[in-house]
Amino acid sequence: MKENLEILLLDDEAIVGNRLGPAIEKVGYDVEVFEDPKKALNRINEKEFDIVVTDIMMGDVNGIQILEEVRKKSDKTKVIIITGYATVTLAREAMDKGAFDMIAKPFTPDDLRSVIAKAADSLGYKKIIAKA
Amino acid sequence: MTNSLEFKSSFINNSEKKPALDTEGRNLLARPRFSLRLHILLLFILFSFLSMAIIIGSVIVINCIQKKISFVQTTERYLFYIEQARRWEKNYFLYDTNLEDAIQITGNAKTLLSQNLKKLMTVLSAEETANMIENLEKYRSLLQELTVLKKNGIVNAGKKHKIETSLRKHGAEMVKVAAALVYKEQNSMNAMLRLIQRIPIYCFAVVLLLTIFLVHFLSKRLIKPFNLLIESTQRIAKGDFSLVPPICRYRGEFTAVEVAINQMLKELKSHELTMVESHKLRAVGTLTAGVAHELNNPLNNIMLTAHAMLEDHNGLSEDELLEMINDLINEADRSRSIVRNLLDFARESESVSEPLDLGMLVSETIKLTLNQAKVSGVKIETQIQPDLPRIRGDKQQLKQVFLNLILNALDAVEKGGNIKINLKKADSPGFLAVQVEDNGCGIPSHILPNIFDPFFTTKGSGKGTGLGLSVSHGIITMHGGQINLETEEGKYTRFTVILPSRNIPADFNKT
Repeated sequence: MKENLEILLLDDEAIVGNRLGPAIEKVGYDVEVFEDPKKALNRINEKEFDIVVTDIMMGDVNGIQILEEVRKKSDKTKVIIITGYATVTLAREAMDKGAFDMIAKPFTPDDLRSVIAKAADSLGYKKIIAKA
Repeated sequence: MTNSLEFKSSFINNSEKKPALDTEGRNLLARPRFSLRLHILLLFILFSFLSMAIIIGSVIVINCIQKKISFVQTTERYLFYIEQARRWEKNYFLYDTNLEDAIQITGNAKTLLSQNLKKLMTVLSAEETANMIENLEKYRSLLQELTVLKKNGIVNAGKKHKIETSLRKHGAEMVKVAAALVYKEQNSMNAMLRLIQRIPIYCFAVVLLLTIFLVHFLSKRLIKPFNLLIESTQRIAKGDFSLVPPICRYRGEFTAVEVAINQMLKELKSHELTMVESHKLRAVGTLTAGVAHELNNPLNNIMLTAHAMLEDHNGLSEDELLEMINDLINEADRSRSIVRNLLDFARESESVSEPLDLGMLVSETIKLTLNQAKVSGVKIETQIQPDLPRIRGDKQQLKQVFLNLILNALDAVEKGGNIKINLKKADSPGFLAVQVEDNGCGIPSHILPNIFDPFFTTKGSGKGTGLGLSVSHGIITMHGGQINLETEEGKYTRFTVILPSRNIPADFNKT
């Protein structure tokens, strides 16, 4: 088993990556931050991440497509969906397609960290500290 | 007359009930009054005068003929006397009878002449009349001379012969003149008879012409206003609420209709504005998803940045801190412009007509819907021809039209669909065209005639008001433009909004 949990974070808003990258890193995860969904997809094809955090509404590729790609690649990877506007339809679709959880904008770094902690928990990483 | 008074008084009541009778209405009423009733009255008077003239004319002509007949009889009697006299004269020469009878009958002729002198003068010239009388006198005096000679026995055969020659000459002359007179008078009477035979034909022709004129005139006076009113109502039905122009030059029965229609138009206009306003708020409602998403992004950025600052405020370098503060400011700015853009559209305002850059207006409207499109997974392609002339219109209302069309297109397409928005010069010069085309479900042909009707909707209850296209149509008509529609079921729908442009390039007034 790996030392650290590996997380891919994708949001086309640059600031999201800029702030959340360090915020997740400092609680002991390895984070790769992407703004461009296509590059992120390439990376997903290269490497199996433990957790993928993705925004749902992005220019060309949307979060559901990322989710589908990840599902194709591995059953293990947990996908957390970030959404700007949470609708029941969207939530249902995401859950049906195998998302781990959803988190609605605006949220705090702690909100995400606790969802990640839950995901880590379900992956079997017990030792994670919720907060630095 | 009572009717017209009632009409007038009901009108006054009406205007009292609505003291806010506008200037147009007052101007319409201020025109000189020339009602249809008066028209018809005048026409009847004209007809009565005409028939009276015909009757009087006929009476005069018949009277003339009567006088003519009695005069012809007189001249015939005169001719008869003269001829009789000449017969006695002949008998005298042939059988040497006496001349008393001849003298007596020329006396009768003379009396007849002097009795009818006035009538004679109207037919013959004074010279001719004098000549005639002179001939008669001469003839009579010759007869008397001859009688005297006969009584005294023949003294001078030469003198007698001379008198006889002169007598024959004057007698012949007299008969000739009288016969000519009779002939002339008979001719003139025949001419009169012919005239009176023709009078009915002339009258018929005049009445026919007059009737044709009246039909033409009345139809102009009656049918034209009706046609104009029909035209106006058709125009109103299409959503053009500009006032009805004065139908006739004068104030009449139709003025009341005009004033009433104009009043109705004012109310329709104000209702339309209310409807436009309320529908706008519905449109804003449908935009919520997009706007919420759009607004949540900067809000999220601010939240994350603020939390990052809170968590790490001790360990941050000056540069990092500065970057974060700048992010905060920029994202706050971004939120402000999103809210402003929406409020700019939603704000209740008076309808203002101003010069507008249609390209900018369309882009701003598209911006409002971009996130809605993102939410629905629809791609919006925009193509705006640069350097187009400006248009004149109400910014909010026009935005509302394009918003309606784009939101409709968004409803029509599936996920992954495509909306093309295209602004260019229209085919007809002086007009700009905005096309909103989607590759969605299309519109079934059986509902095509209804889609611009108010409250017509294909969306489920509670989803659509059925006012979007109706309101849009109203707005575009008010701007002097039109909305056209091409569609094929299952393939595409293309709405084209055509608006009149002003001949000043958009960039001209920008600075």
